[in-house]
Amino acid sequence: MPASGNVSRVEHDRLQHHSHVGRYVVVWGALLVLTIATYLIAKIHIAGGLAIVVALVIATAKGALVALFFMHLWDQRGANRLVFVTSLVFVALLIGLTVADYATRFPLANPPGSEGALPAPDYDPPPSARTH
Amino acid sequence: MPADTPYLAHHFENLEKQTHAARLGMWLFLATEVLLFTALFAGYGAYRFLYADAFRAASRGLETWIGVVNTIVLVTSSFTVAMGLERQRRGDGRGTLLLFALSFLLAVVFLGFKAVEYSHHFHAGELPGRLYASEHVQGPGGPIFFALYFLITGLHAIHVVIGMTVLAIIGWRAGRGAFTAEYHVPVELAGLYWHLVDLIWIFVFPLIYLI
Repeated sequence: MPASGNVSRVEHDRLQHHSHVGRYVVVWGALLVLTIATYLIAKIHIAGGLAIVVALVIATAKGALVALFFMHLWDQRGANRLVFVTSLVFVALLIGLTVADYATRFPLANPPGSEGALPAPDYDPPPSARTH
Repeated sequence: MPADTPYLAHHFENLEKQTHAARLGMWLFLATEVLLFTALFAGYGAYRFLYADAFRAASRGLETWIGVVNTIVLVTSSFTVAMGLERQRRGDGRGTLLLFALSFLLAVVFLGFKAVEYSHHFHAGELPGRLYASEHVQGPGGPIFFALYFLITGLHAIHVVIGMTVLAIIGWRAGRGAFTAEYHVPVELAGLYWHLVDLIWIFVFPLIYLI
């Protein structure tokens, strides 16, 4: 690499020393362990809504490992991180608001046949919509 | 950085700025990909609230071990892609070609398992909407689950195929010495795309198979 006064610290570090092989192997091992762990935990059938929380927390941990180390967000400059974090903000908005809506609905607003909906004795689906 | 490097486009001052611009552009694209899948995940979340029991029953009917094996396969392919980038950083384009080829084969294994699953669903009548003909789950929840199942896994499979194409082209060029230790942005960006495919599957797996 020719001398340049404008090389950032990160780029300099990366080119100067350490290979990432060790880091990749550790992350790969962690991802395999977490995959097996989430499978075994799901087999136990935790009661209530906790199972989905545990599964998503493990998935988030795995996703963070991939994004930070395989995708190098760990040692990249702010702009790329900002783009990714911004997309995560919109992920939270879209999923959070949608789920919050359905979680707090008056049961009558839910379609017949769904959880919490009141029985609708006079509801007769058109033949094309009938599944059985 | 010498201005006469063959990789430098004329509108960039130096290679470092060009590299940062390319990376930023790729991250912007990946952000849109994340949001594309988020729309499907939000739909999944909404219907899971409405038909929780049906979704649970339909999910139990899936072969969980295939999901686990496919997760392991995809995570491992992500690892080999990362190692391929590491080889290119050392100027070893042939090593990159070998590791990208290995990732490609792992992706074929992934799609093979997916095909086995899909053909099982077709035979069992576990299809979206009014095509649903299985007795396994009663009510409207079953057809909705399988509509979302095919949308999410199908869109992901399309991304796997695109990623395989990218890995094949970039791996081939790396093997022919198109990139160097100093300039390997295409290898890095191809890797980023593949890692995103892996990242999305990491969230698809628990939502579809585990809960």
